[in-house]
Amino acid sequence: MGVAVLVGTRKGLFVLTSDDQRTDWSLEGPHLVGWEVFHAMRDPRTGTLHAATNHMVYGATTHRSTDLGETWDRAEGIGLPEDSGLTWEKSWHVEPGHADQPETLWLGGTPGALFRSDDGGGSWTPVQSLVGHSTRGEWNPGAGGMCCHSIQVDPSDPNRLYVAISAAGAFRSDDGGETWEPKNSGVAADFFPDDPFPEVGQCVHKLLVHPEKPERLWQQNHCGVYRSDDRGDNWERLEGNGLPSGFGFPIALDPADPDAAYVIPEVGAENRVTPDGRLGVYRTRDSGASWELLTEGLPQKAWAAVKREGMSFDRLDPVGVYLGTQGGSVFATPDAGETWVEAARFLPEILSVEAAEW
Amino acid sequence: MVVVLLPSLLATEAGGKGRFELDAATPDEALKALPIRDLIFDEHGNLRPLVNVYVNRAQVDSLDGRLENGDEIRLVAAVAGGHS
Repeated sequence: MGVAVLVGTRKGLFVLTSDDQRTDWSLEGPHLVGWEVFHAMRDPRTGTLHAATNHMVYGATTHRSTDLGETWDRAEGIGLPEDSGLTWEKSWHVEPGHADQPETLWLGGTPGALFRSDDGGGSWTPVQSLVGHSTRGEWNPGAGGMCCHSIQVDPSDPNRLYVAISAAGAFRSDDGGETWEPKNSGVAADFFPDDPFPEVGQCVHKLLVHPEKPERLWQQNHCGVYRSDDRGDNWERLEGNGLPSGFGFPIALDPADPDAAYVIPEVGAENRVTPDGRLGVYRTRDSGASWELLTEGLPQKAWAAVKREGMSFDRLDPVGVYLGTQGGSVFATPDAGETWVEAARFLPEILSVEAAEW
Repeated sequence: MVVVLLPSLLATEAGGKGRFELDAATPDEALKALPIRDLIFDEHGNLRPLVNVYVNRAQVDSLDGRLENGDEIRLVAAVAGGHS
């Protein structure tokens, strides 16, 4: 058994592979030449590769491969209903459904839309309850468009789903996607000085459910890092305790330790590079009460940026964490962040990394 | 019978086939018969704004013109300077 890191770039998909030591890496690709790969993953239930793909001329779609990238099929006809007045613009994230629903997948993207597939990603049906959500009029696009970038399925309950949309906030469904309730209590929207804690409109950058403790959620937001211990009903802001900034995009977790999380702060919304001229990853092991800087093996003269899908983690112990920079480097740690190696460099702009068994 | 020529990425998505011969009365009918029609038109049937259509080497603004036997339709991705 080995590990793969699927690296989605502005110009195709690359695959890094290693054994369980995760120190020596081999690169292959690009796959999906000509396509911008906003996110790719290997479905742990089926082994199929799925990619959220976009082209500036030919629009947004998904591709899948059942032979580890040798051949790819494209889903056809992804679209939003005419009466919605909306047009499908970008495919951002494709997420496996619950383990009990092996043919179900979820696709999120712009404009703030979610799709469901019940045929393994061959076709996609828009989730009308989110397309026509009663609060949609209060949603606004972030700089990357109004993207539905985070989709999480509660491993303990196939009917409990989460999505996060920039800048609409986080939403939870307890009925398999039939209805959605905003879950933004305690999450700041500092860019609304007249109403900094609205029901919706928060700019979530990435939201994750802890895979072994699913009542615990983490999010990296435009306005801070947050944790929830009650399935998103309430959120606690976790900065001012070692983090140089609350601004950042990705967040990663440790499946074996629900109190651990990894973030990559940036100076701020107006200067989106890593602070102090270095590429630093910050780790908490006490649920966000404190954060420590990890630098061993990471460049100490660097003004890097890592996008919201640009960090991932594996299921090994100790956890491996992976990040990809806009400058085309992939860094990997096989020991929960203590040491890092550069697994690849000079790739096209990296839009996403996702770890998988290989 | 008319001929439709595809650029390379569309040809790849069409299973490696860049040339189609088919019966169609208009460019709209011809393009909507292609297996990659969803990459040319959005979900509401609108031609994607950066897809340019040429008939016999002349760009056409309307896809409703009448085609003659032997006409050649060529799809060209618009020049998009500034986007790397």
